[in-house]
Amino acid sequence: MKKKVVLLALAFSFVFMGLPSTAGWLSANALAAEKNNGKVIVYNWSEYIPQEVLDEFTKETGVEVVYSTYETNDSMYAKIKLLRGKGYDLVCPSTYYLHLMIEEGLFKKFDHSKLSNIVNLDPQLMNPSYDPGNEYSIPYMWGSVGLLINTAYVKPENARSFKDLLRPEYKGKIILTDDMRDCYGMAMHAVGKSANSTDPDDIKAGYEFLKALHPSVVTFDVSAVKQAFISEEVIIGTSWNGDALVAQQEKPELEFVYPEDGALVWVDSFAMPVGAENVENAHKFVNFLLRPEIAKKCQEEYMYSTPNLKTLDLLSAEKRANRTLVPTGDELKNAEYLLNYGGKTLQIYKNYWEKARSGL
Amino acid sequence: MRENNGFRKFSISSVWLWIGVFALVPNLALFLVSFLDRGEVDYFIPAFTLDNYLRLLDPAFVNIFLKSMYLAGVSTLSCLLIGYPFAYLMAGAGKRIRPWLMLLVVIPFWTNSLIRTYALVIILKNQGLINKLMLSLGLAEGSFSLMYNDIAVFVGLTYTLLPFMILPLYASIEKLDRRLLDAAQDLGASPLRSFWHVTLPLTLPGIVAGCILVFLPALGTFYIPEILGGAKVMLLGSFIKNQFLVARDWPLGASASMIMTGILIFMALVYRLVNRQADGSAQAGQNAGAA
Repeated sequence: MKKKVVLLALAFSFVFMGLPSTAGWLSANALAAEKNNGKVIVYNWSEYIPQEVLDEFTKETGVEVVYSTYETNDSMYAKIKLLRGKGYDLVCPSTYYLHLMIEEGLFKKFDHSKLSNIVNLDPQLMNPSYDPGNEYSIPYMWGSVGLLINTAYVKPENARSFKDLLRPEYKGKIILTDDMRDCYGMAMHAVGKSANSTDPDDIKAGYEFLKALHPSVVTFDVSAVKQAFISEEVIIGTSWNGDALVAQQEKPELEFVYPEDGALVWVDSFAMPVGAENVENAHKFVNFLLRPEIAKKCQEEYMYSTPNLKTLDLLSAEKRANRTLVPTGDELKNAEYLLNYGGKTLQIYKNYWEKARSGL
Repeated sequence: MRENNGFRKFSISSVWLWIGVFALVPNLALFLVSFLDRGEVDYFIPAFTLDNYLRLLDPAFVNIFLKSMYLAGVSTLSCLLIGYPFAYLMAGAGKRIRPWLMLLVVIPFWTNSLIRTYALVIILKNQGLINKLMLSLGLAEGSFSLMYNDIAVFVGLTYTLLPFMILPLYASIEKLDRRLLDAAQDLGASPLRSFWHVTLPLTLPGIVAGCILVFLPALGTFYIPEILGGAKVMLLGSFIKNQFLVARDWPLGASASMIMTGILIFMALVYRLVNRQADGSAQAGQNAGAA
């Protein structure tokens, strides 16, 4: 009989092992106990900081990095909100979620005197409307949503702006992102409206565009954009410039276009949740990532644009000349940050989006 | 004996505790939230309303619901059509082959279903395995894609969920009393007739159980239809996810989940009814046999 009880206990422990959060929590505590200089708990996008960089930070400072990842802003937001900002020292939201979370009081301010490397950052990306003075947010990476085209089938002069997606020759060959803000923002720009408009008529105009475009779309996807272009399932559609650069390495005929009706610019910035406990280490970690040579490693691994001007100087001449990676003012004419709009407006967008996604 | 009793109490109560904490409480919470109003900042505010259910009558949601039911329904049917003959043959196979057949059914479980779905993409896509095979055999010219249509969705769902159909079917076919079939044959019934009047009614509980086990996941797992079908119509699973994460409209998400729970309860009731009837007719059959 004892044997059975032991077996049952074993079975239970296996079930517990299956819960990743429990396992992560246990190992996080175990690791932190070994170190003297404490830890910093980072909750970041997946595939965003190379392991090598994390190891280097720990080696240099003796601070353990407890690292976990998310795939969407939405799930990060839900977790931080439900935990009331406790449990993590740093998160990395994109513009409109940063805006929303600052408004909801979920972040605490950085002490800029502890961030000596902040001078390396591009002034153009600093002091955004959603966080004047960068009190709550320190930019880490940035990029744009624009058009990716396969030049073997698409003439660049026929794909200058988002509204060119409506051309009949692209029917059945289009991919669009399934992210509501990015996709709807694209539609708003195509009809000449702001992606942050709260005017119901503007929002309806964007919906009409999406509805007209729906029959031409073959898939709504954001995670396998590169694969769809490489296998030629699609020849034109929305893409991040970082994804475009990676896909180009495998298929050189792909080309990223900053649309004339305006790309959607995102900036992912580190922010400290109100309940952060390792504030000192969080500053150390952010300052470390702002070093030009460290930011270079992150840039080279994932091919997003870096806001670090000193890092740009370290890049090869070929990379610096790459307008997809380093757009100049021209490419970003009419470009826009996505900002938070209130809950009421979000409902209007959402209702139209659910219809548009199904072609209704 | 007393020790045995203690063990029984312990194991049964721990299962109840498990179900209570991880299934009952969250579902009750969802049920409550589905009657609350949404707040501007908070996910929900304590004000009673039926509005969330009324909002589900919107044509956009009705369309999402019908399309989801259609995809899940057809996939269930194709699982049944493939699974029943397989389970029947497996139950009739020799004692030596049976474990091997069972192993074949279970092996796919060892790999995560998302990975298996991406494996299907590699087979079906433009310039994928099937495309290349057809080209090299001279059966096709140029490249073509088998992705982004309903057929691809059915293939994906059937492939992933087939074991959930086969296992309960096998269980009920295996315990079928073969003497009843002999009796039917002796009394002059054709194989088709004895299948229709004996085998099918007696294995109905297995069919219903299999259909429940396939239909509900097919309704909920949205990633397979989205990856293979191109997500051109939003499905129930992603609609619910969207309310909770993107739209921050928990009450609407909760009421849509309650619809799914309602379907589950309905199917469980059907299962109970069918089980009783099958028990009854098996009894009748045995009584008749004894007489």
